[in-house]
Amino acid sequence: MLRNLRTATSPAFRCLYSTAAEKPSLKLVAELRKRTEVSIVKAREALSASGNDVDAALDWLQKDLVASGAKKAAKVGGRATNEGLISTSVLSNFTGSRRLNGIRAAMVELNCETDFVGRNELFGKLASDIAHTAAFIAETSKASSSAFQPLPVDFLQDAPLISSSNPGAEPTGTVATSIRDLIAKVGENVTLRRAVTVAADPPAVEASRAFRLAGYVHGTIHKPTEGRIGTLALLGLKYPAPQGFSSEVLDKLQILERALGRQIVGFDTRTIRSENPEDHSALYNQPFITLPDVLNGQPVQEVLKRWSVQEGIVSDENDPGAVEVIEFAKWAVGEPLE
Amino acid sequence: MLQLASCKAASHSFALARSSLRNVCQRNRVPVTSSASSLLLRRGYAEVFKRNKPHMNIGTIGHVDHGKTTLTAAITKVLSTEGAAKFTDYSQIDKAPEEKARGITINSAHVEYETPNRHYGHIDCPGHADYIKNMITGAAQMDGAIIVVSATDGQMPQTREHLLLARQVGIKRLVVFINKVDQISDPEMLELVDMEMRDLLNTYNFEGDNTPIIMGSALAALDGRNDDIGASKIQELVKACDEWLELPVRDLEKPFLMPIEDVFSISGRGTVATGRVERGVATKGTDVEIVGFGSSMKTTLTGIEMFHKELERAEAGDNMGALLRGIKREQIRRGQVLAAPGSVKSAKKFVAQIYVLTKEEGGRYTPFMANYRPQCFVRTADVTVALTFPEGTPDAAEKMVMPGDNVEMVCDLVFDVALEIGTRFTLREANKTIGTGIVTKIFE
Repeated sequence: MLRNLRTATSPAFRCLYSTAAEKPSLKLVAELRKRTEVSIVKAREALSASGNDVDAALDWLQKDLVASGAKKAAKVGGRATNEGLISTSVLSNFTGSRRLNGIRAAMVELNCETDFVGRNELFGKLASDIAHTAAFIAETSKASSSAFQPLPVDFLQDAPLISSSNPGAEPTGTVATSIRDLIAKVGENVTLRRAVTVAADPPAVEASRAFRLAGYVHGTIHKPTEGRIGTLALLGLKYPAPQGFSSEVLDKLQILERALGRQIVGFDTRTIRSENPEDHSALYNQPFITLPDVLNGQPVQEVLKRWSVQEGIVSDENDPGAVEVIEFAKWAVGEPLE
Repeated sequence: MLQLASCKAASHSFALARSSLRNVCQRNRVPVTSSASSLLLRRGYAEVFKRNKPHMNIGTIGHVDHGKTTLTAAITKVLSTEGAAKFTDYSQIDKAPEEKARGITINSAHVEYETPNRHYGHIDCPGHADYIKNMITGAAQMDGAIIVVSATDGQMPQTREHLLLARQVGIKRLVVFINKVDQISDPEMLELVDMEMRDLLNTYNFEGDNTPIIMGSALAALDGRNDDIGASKIQELVKACDEWLELPVRDLEKPFLMPIEDVFSISGRGTVATGRVERGVATKGTDVEIVGFGSSMKTTLTGIEMFHKELERAEAGDNMGALLRGIKREQIRRGQVLAAPGSVKSAKKFVAQIYVLTKEEGGRYTPFMANYRPQCFVRTADVTVALTFPEGTPDAAEKMVMPGDNVEMVCDLVFDVALEIGTRFTLREANKTIGTGIVTKIFE
């Protein structure tokens, strides 16, 4: 609308200000576009409004984005968004040696209309920043025993966006305004669909049990933390207090965690256990094919027990301190929600 | 350089491999009378397609709001005034139903039109992953593309992704249509759109300086107003496609190749290899090479037979029996090919772009890791293949491939077979097709 109005009124506009308002030079418009990725029309408008001064034009654009971005967002708001990314962020994972950390992590789904935009770097960066922000917000819940807490999207929208590549930087806006800015740049509807946080407090020094977070994302494009399908899984195992895990055990544990993440994503995993041993939607019944090891192909539950004995976590396979999967969340882009 | 006909042949290769052998035999025994077959051909509701112009598949790529559909409708409208197309309305294109054919999703509207020199099949490109899948499986193929960009926005961040896709599917030349020029008052801004677009094309190794960029308004053409930016620009665009986009080489013009389906020994005559000519033309007396399975022998076609009759010439699409000079029955077998000497080499190891079928498409239920060993069907050959990740892949030992993935893998065949860049193949396991692929690089 605004655009039409402008073109309609521009001749009169030009007559009145033909000497005052300089015509923006091509070079400046090009430069402004390189720096901000705004549309040609906008870049030109910004330069006209600020007398061909690039810095002033940048300020003008920043202010204008609030209005024009909102307008654009309103225009595309109703359109379906079935593409996009699942993005995960693990800020802190229980390390188990000397420094005792808790767990702070999050997973979010950011959607757009086409996978062309989904594959674009700007979109990937925003998804990763939002996941990072959600992980910062993560808190343990008193009300629930679960470490996984759905984070209300409205709440996350209002949070200041923390950059994942440069967490120290001053936030330039909230999650909501950053999404709006991206809509203005790519011209597609972009929506934040869901978010979940994982939080666990640091264990007491004499704790007998450790928690670890496994994660994996499949179908990644730019970063290993975001793609088409993702999972975060909470593991529990015996904690060798007070000396902690050795670095070799930790290395091996990480390999196991990555394999478990792949296993959950690769198979149609819906639960951890099932009464029916033939039910392969239960993780523990699946043949463990993703662990590059001699234990390959045996049921996940068996492998976890044997692995724990093999690595000296427990001395007996029936010790409840063997590695177990406590909870997990698995999301795919655009999947129907219950 | 992927041909429609050859890709069809390849994507069906497995099915064809068995059935056409049967057909050859059956036809040989019970020849269909010509009057009956022509009757069969005439029946049906479709108009007869006249093949008097070279055909080319072309697609539109661009941002959702930049007017791809309007442009497609405008092209058909402008060309329909000359009777060279059937006007296809915006709504017909936009609401094209998603087809599910053989488990392969083709969600692209098929529109066709003609210019004085060519016949075009026009598709819209819905998304990156969808298109790559269609390209690998051979369900849809673009030989050239029109990039649509709105003059008001200029190129957008995702225009890079559009060009990357074009690169990845092997398109060498593009035509750019700058749409909605009537919404720009300052002609200098159009220069900028032009300049930026050429820059970007060069960045992605398209010939940016020479690529035709046409500026107009698809809507004006569709509404039949402002001829200077409407209909005449559409004409200009179509002309640019004719002149700039290169026609794919037709199967008939390529060097001769026939996959061997079966081998017979006919007493008193010699060894006959049967198969369906994939491309090119062979005449009696042509020198051919037998390629694949470790051997490469040169011989001469001493005779060509079809329907028990001797022929002078066989061409792409024909089922033929080839009488080979000085070759014993034991020397050749199914899976090898007869080819014009030097036109194709056999190889064991190659890189391929593979699409792994989902379980809904009849594929695997579970993922696989490196060193997975399915059966690889290339033309008539059936060879075990080991799949690994390309060198330099991080964490290759832990990497996983899921049903539904498009993935680049290194394929190591147990025996060598005739291969070229662009050869399609099928991966099967326990009598189930689990994936299809296309050769992108061959290791010497």
